[in-house]
Amino acid sequence: MSSLTAETGISPEVELLESHKKFIEEKSSSNFSSLNKIGAQQFEKLGYPHSKHEMFTFVNTKNVATNFASATSSEINKDDIAEFVYSECERSLIVLVDGQFREDLSDTSGLDNGVKFVSGNEALADSEVRKYIESSAQEENDAFAAINAAFCEDGLFIDIPAKMVMKSVVQILAISNGAEKEGESSRPRILVRAGDLAEAKIIVRYAGLKGNYFVNSVQDFLIGDGAGLGLVLVETDQKEARNFSKTRLVLNRDSRFNGSNISYGSALTRCHLEARLKAPGAEFRLNSVGVLKNKEQVHHYIRVYHEAAQCSSDMHFKNIVNDQSRSSVDGTVIVEKDAQLTNSDQLINNLLLSDEAHADSKPNLIINADDVKCTHGNTVGQIDEEQLFYLKARGLSEAIAKTLLTKSFAASIVEKIEFPSVRKNVEETLLKKLEATDG
Amino acid sequence: MLEINDLAGGFEGNEILKGFSLKVNPGEIHAIMGPNGSGKSTLAKILAGHPVYEATSGKVIYKGKDLLDMDPEERALEGVFLGFQYPLEIPGVNNAEFLRMAYNAKLVHKGEEEIDPLDFDEILDEKMKIVGMNPKYKDRFLNDGFSGGEKKKNEILQMAVLEPTLAILDETDSGLDIDALKTVANGVNRLFNKDRALIVITHYQRLLDYIKPHFVHVFSDGKIVETGGKELALELEKNGYDKYMAPGN
Repeated sequence: MSSLTAETGISPEVELLESHKKFIEEKSSSNFSSLNKIGAQQFEKLGYPHSKHEMFTFVNTKNVATNFASATSSEINKDDIAEFVYSECERSLIVLVDGQFREDLSDTSGLDNGVKFVSGNEALADSEVRKYIESSAQEENDAFAAINAAFCEDGLFIDIPAKMVMKSVVQILAISNGAEKEGESSRPRILVRAGDLAEAKIIVRYAGLKGNYFVNSVQDFLIGDGAGLGLVLVETDQKEARNFSKTRLVLNRDSRFNGSNISYGSALTRCHLEARLKAPGAEFRLNSVGVLKNKEQVHHYIRVYHEAAQCSSDMHFKNIVNDQSRSSVDGTVIVEKDAQLTNSDQLINNLLLSDEAHADSKPNLIINADDVKCTHGNTVGQIDEEQLFYLKARGLSEAIAKTLLTKSFAASIVEKIEFPSVRKNVEETLLKKLEATDG
Repeated sequence: MLEINDLAGGFEGNEILKGFSLKVNPGEIHAIMGPNGSGKSTLAKILAGHPVYEATSGKVIYKGKDLLDMDPEERALEGVFLGFQYPLEIPGVNNAEFLRMAYNAKLVHKGEEEIDPLDFDEILDEKMKIVGMNPKYKDRFLNDGFSGGEKKKNEILQMAVLEPTLAILDETDSGLDIDALKTVANGVNRLFNKDRALIVITHYQRLLDYIKPHFVHVFSDGKIVETGGKELALELEKNGYDKYMAPGN
């Protein structure tokens, strides 16, 4: 661990642990203090990651967290965030600003009766929640998630009771209000528990108001027996921002996860997703689309653990990269010894719109059972010249024809997004972004 | 309307057309017939501006302008339409939306206002009737999963919507059963008038039972080797192309 920061000559590890000491002195009384200590210990074990770490092969972590101070929120009101709220969620909206739960900005009047939501501090008073959070922090394998645990001060816990079929779609809006100094971080922490046989619909959207911030989040989704979770994760951060997230999914018996991940592009986005299919009958579906231009980067690091028999997983990634942007998908499905009759598919499709754009794919399978059906594949391609000619031969300009073809590439993912307002926004913004890049 | 003079060209250095000449006036239907692999499609692709195909010498004047100097989209906007032998499948692009975009591109080119989707829908319904197409194909992705016959009908639908002055139909009949062929031919006939011209490229005489050409040209070894009326097509049907084959082939 010798990656030195140029300015100070101090290694990021030392710097982090120093600032953590100060942090603990100031905040020693909160319910988070034990998690904070576990996080720091775990970080010490893992070290500050660099590209030799398998988990960060494609990600340049240098100077991502240049200092470990927490971003402090300046004034913010409802008007500032209105544009980030999806129309079906106006009355089922829960807002975090720089990781802090903000009741004054939230509107939960349309939320289904019985759905509980509390701030992180309150949530940790519940011993079961605390046990889960602290034990997963002890086993944390991602240094940035450990940093989140080390400095986390608040968060959000949503509890959907057993058998509740939600009518409302909850939007969790995690706003970054811009750091005062470059490199300051916010560390949102979200925990959602869907009780047995519950049906939950959730959108988590990351958005920024200004500046060069680093949002380093951890989100956990626990899905009970027979329960279903429809989740859309949307990253609409500022162009200079960096967004690292660790998402853990725990799927119990006969549970279903249907997820979409949408990246609008930022300076550096990294999504680490870990799904554990713990009991027979669990079903995991993930569709992901990213549209990048300029020097934007989006990296996915996905691990799906089939720990029980008769589970299925299906992942499909599509990345559109233009200019000098970069994407990577490093996805491994691990089928444990007893996970017979596993069904698993993984497909990564990349569309390169420029010679300087870069897309890495690393689909992988580790199979320890002998009666399974698993596939994986990846493609890298450019706009099809024959298709382009066909459209031009009908009078469409080169720019419009390319936009249409690019849009068509993303269509199969976009049409699977569960919530119409998210889909509409993706369609409009996606198209707009691609139009702007053309020329 | 169209004057092709001594056109030579091909793709990737292969010279397929070797001195091809043809004059087409408004109100005329020309059939170009020739054996498989004789380069008929190369002609169609050069006329439409396919990027891989290149004219190396000769001239093509369309409505007084140098056609070869124009981009493919410009040619389309000026009224040239190529009915593809193998229409491309483009999943993710809605058929009706695509047609509306193409229609609007043409309106804008003529200096007119774009049409709104509802008004266009009426036009589209009417055109779909002409070509005998089920309205359900409006909401499908462009040619995606269409049968051969549906794809060809969709080509003619595009032609019906865009109302080109010069249509070049490249083997529009190939792969069609007789019913589909009749429907397609009927659509083409209803769109034809004295101000428009049509070049039908085909291998089989059968299509010409339904689309009546004024001229039939025999295409062999990169150029027209004989021209006649529709009786020439019947003769070809009977005797084949053997007598036109270049020596040594």
